[in-house]
Amino acid sequence: MLIGIDVGGTTTDAVLVDGGSVTKTAYVPTDHDDLLKCLLGALDELVKGVDTSKIERVVLSTTLITNMIAEGKTDAVALVLIPGPGTNPKDYSLGEAIILDGAIDFRGKEIERLNESQIKDAASKISGQGFSRVAVVGKFCQRNHAHELKVGEIMAKAMPVAEIELGHRVSGQLNFPRRAATTMLTVATKDKYREFAEAVARALKHRKISSPVYILKADGGTLPLDKSVQMPVETIFSGPAASIMGVLALTPPGQTSVVVDIGGTTTDLALILSGKPLLSSKGAKVGSLLTQVRAFAVKSVAIGGDSVVHVAGGCLAVGPHRNGPPLCMGGTGPTPTDALRVLGLSSIGDGAKAEKAMQDVADKLGCSSLEAAQSVVDAVVDRIVFEVNEMFQEWEQEPAYRIWEIVKKERLLAQSVIGVGGGAPALVPLVAARLGVTAIVPEYAPVANAIGAAVARPTLTLNLHIDTERNEYIVAEEGLIGKVTDKKMTTEYAERLAKRLLAERAERLGIGEYAGEAEVTYSEVFNMIRGWTTVGRLLDIRMEIPAGLLPSWRCC
Amino acid sequence: MSSLRRARTGLIFFPAFDWAISPTHPEREERLLYTRDQIFEEGLMDLPEIEEYKPRLAEMKDIARTHFCVPDVESQVTVAHLIAAGSTLTLADALEKGEIKNGFALVRPPGHHSMRVVHGNRGFCNINNMAILVEYLRTKYGHKRIAVVDTDVHHGDGTQEIFWHDPDVLCISFHQDGHTLYPGSGFVNEMGGPQALGRTLNIPLPPGTTDEGIHYVLDNLILPILAEFKPDLVLNSAGQDNHYTDPLANMRFSANGYARLNEKLAPDICVLEGGYAVETALPYVNTGIIQAMAGLDYSHVKEPDYVPGRFVQTDEMWREIKKTVGQVQKIWDDRDELVKDALQGLGDFYRRKKRVFYDTDMINENQEEVVRLCPNCAGFITISSSAQRGYGILNTAFCVSLPRGACSSCREDAKEEYEEHVDDRRIGYVYMQDKDRDKFKFCNNMTHTQRGY
Repeated sequence: MLIGIDVGGTTTDAVLVDGGSVTKTAYVPTDHDDLLKCLLGALDELVKGVDTSKIERVVLSTTLITNMIAEGKTDAVALVLIPGPGTNPKDYSLGEAIILDGAIDFRGKEIERLNESQIKDAASKISGQGFSRVAVVGKFCQRNHAHELKVGEIMAKAMPVAEIELGHRVSGQLNFPRRAATTMLTVATKDKYREFAEAVARALKHRKISSPVYILKADGGTLPLDKSVQMPVETIFSGPAASIMGVLALTPPGQTSVVVDIGGTTTDLALILSGKPLLSSKGAKVGSLLTQVRAFAVKSVAIGGDSVVHVAGGCLAVGPHRNGPPLCMGGTGPTPTDALRVLGLSSIGDGAKAEKAMQDVADKLGCSSLEAAQSVVDAVVDRIVFEVNEMFQEWEQEPAYRIWEIVKKERLLAQSVIGVGGGAPALVPLVAARLGVTAIVPEYAPVANAIGAAVARPTLTLNLHIDTERNEYIVAEEGLIGKVTDKKMTTEYAERLAKRLLAERAERLGIGEYAGEAEVTYSEVFNMIRGWTTVGRLLDIRMEIPAGLLPSWRCC
Repeated sequence: MSSLRRARTGLIFFPAFDWAISPTHPEREERLLYTRDQIFEEGLMDLPEIEEYKPRLAEMKDIARTHFCVPDVESQVTVAHLIAAGSTLTLADALEKGEIKNGFALVRPPGHHSMRVVHGNRGFCNINNMAILVEYLRTKYGHKRIAVVDTDVHHGDGTQEIFWHDPDVLCISFHQDGHTLYPGSGFVNEMGGPQALGRTLNIPLPPGTTDEGIHYVLDNLILPILAEFKPDLVLNSAGQDNHYTDPLANMRFSANGYARLNEKLAPDICVLEGGYAVETALPYVNTGIIQAMAGLDYSHVKEPDYVPGRFVQTDEMWREIKKTVGQVQKIWDDRDELVKDALQGLGDFYRRKKRVFYDTDMINENQEEVVRLCPNCAGFITISSSAQRGYGILNTAFCVSLPRGACSSCREDAKEEYEEHVDDRRIGYVYMQDKDRDKFKFCNNMTHTQRGY
């Protein structure tokens, strides 16, 4: 038996999956001030009368980190940067930062030394300002993290109780400002996240649930709860990720489709391309910060069932705000939900009130209430269709740096529109009809999110950089540097090395059994020529266990 | 909203990581690798001042508008060339649509040594990205006056040759003196065809010229001339091999010098040309140029071994630079006189013979160019070309080019020239480039087949 619980914005949904099918569902309203209570409430409801010893796995997805950041409840962090030559750090929107001397270049060579007394001064300044959390991030630290280690060491000595996070442990990919933002968010959320994770573990123990507990990440993968405390920001946006994984679980594999999650105020759109959910290319945007958090590319459009419908100068507009519930559900003004009710496309709420809502709109437009309702629904469908087309176009326009990528990138067209969320059953068929594709509203659409959590498998990424002229390889996130002796290392050998290193990393994170699912998602090799001779090779391999479903679900 | 978008700098980064002339050639896969590392690590593409674009492939027609490729465009270009050229066109469209305030095509392979007729690769170039951009801007958007400033260390001889007779395209190239560097040309006395004298300006500089020297030329010669010429657009053939670490040249320009140059020149579009110090220069120079174009602070860009004041020019170098600046200034000031005098001594046609050597492909070409000196339009041009690779086959071509705004008599005569040479068995290929109607056709005389773009 698998359990999935998604603590969403309005409700907390839970499902019990057994032998490839959903056997029980439960939900409670979400209380933003006590997420643990909602989570446990839904769990208790779900496992009532169930033999808890048969539970094999519990997966949670929560808005904890999302809320913390949105509400500004993260802990204060001192940001220490070692930027070296390049951009003026003030041109990044990272806020106040302490800038240190020292620099590493793209090859990992030290091009400017650290200044120890400057670091000590920085440490006393930071503790003087009352910070107990520090993010230390150097440019090109993923190619050589000696500077970050040294700064971290000096700071730790000066501030024994401080929590210090180093950039290279957070991401091995290029992009210094994103890495700085991600490191900052990691240390800013770590303590509160750890408290939450520990409380969950205690509560489950108390309920005699001894199965492993996982958390869902923004890339649709799971991670053991106790390991996730090292990377709390990865759990941001796990709600949309849960829905998308749910769609994967509930629809035929290999399809290219648009996932439309229509809620009250917003509609979330995501793409599944040939069975693979599209990831945002460089990482998620969290609040105003661009990060390196791997996340599905989700576009949030400010239009939904409760959006305000208003008429100005004979023109109809829907959204972007919400002024409470639809009129037919006891609200004060007309909404798309009222329009759907009038058109007979849904049976939610009070029909007479819906009629009144549309009559108001009709009076201003000078038409019948039925026509008004049709216009409102058309406006919503128009907007969603427009945004879906934009998403495909943006994907096609993503830059590419190789000839074959530019020549071979085929145009993908959606085969289906898959609806989840409250507004889905009424609106998704209309969106699909406009796009000329099939509409799918899966049977368990309202709890697709919880199903997604229940059956998602772990994900993992490993970035391996090899420089055979310098005789070394480096896995930044692991803080691992190894020796290389073969100057002419082949891609095949490098990929085998990456596979072994990934398996070791997976083992450390408690997901070793999935290492076999890893695939190479990026591989490049360059000969380094100096003068007219080859002096070495540079190889970069990215290996991933991509988002996917548990084998026990897939086989059924 | 629109003013906000207008403030952006468009960037196309196309390093062609899967294209090289040969594995150890300077123009190889690795060339922009460290530049990629640097600008990605800087997070430049994420900044609100910068918008990254995906390149498109240039069409065959875009190439034929500029070049006579022998035997045809398809045989002279690879997909990499089409993407590099297409990148400049994508930026041109974005600029004209008002999406960006300026743009940088950080692309390879380069182009500024490619001339009007193309038999192969010379100076690492097959087709001239900059010239293709200029012709596109004029045809599609009707721009008349364009200034091309070539800031590569090598003389931009291809671009010069293509616009040699065109008074509306001002070609300024500063470079290391041709006595000491490929392609061995670009002297002060190369100043354009009889109708366009003084619209090609060459500024040869002594080896070892520093930031001070180049900025002296910029401040005292190039910028004032541009202000007087009043072009619709300023384009920069942005080579990066004036850098003090470049392995193929001997100048002493810095990354900061390059950034400052682009800030002052304020080009509408920059197109990368050469630059082969892949580790020690390119990452820093490119970062600086992008920042300068985007209006960002570039003062933090510095090569690891650079200290201000590291390079000092000798008095002799200063004298030479100032003398050259004076000579070029005089040519510019006298340009209308020069044209008048030259045309007085000529009849209805101007002829010149020239030889072109393709160093990369070891091809020798002989050309005879004839320009109709027409009182009513820019006049049509014919070029007879024969080229031989080593002791291989001799390729011969006859090319006719009809200018924009061609008069009816030039049109008639040009048509006649084309038809006369079709089926002439002494000539392999005959071309008609009608820039006025944007139509291009050619005939293979051996197979009697005609095609067009």
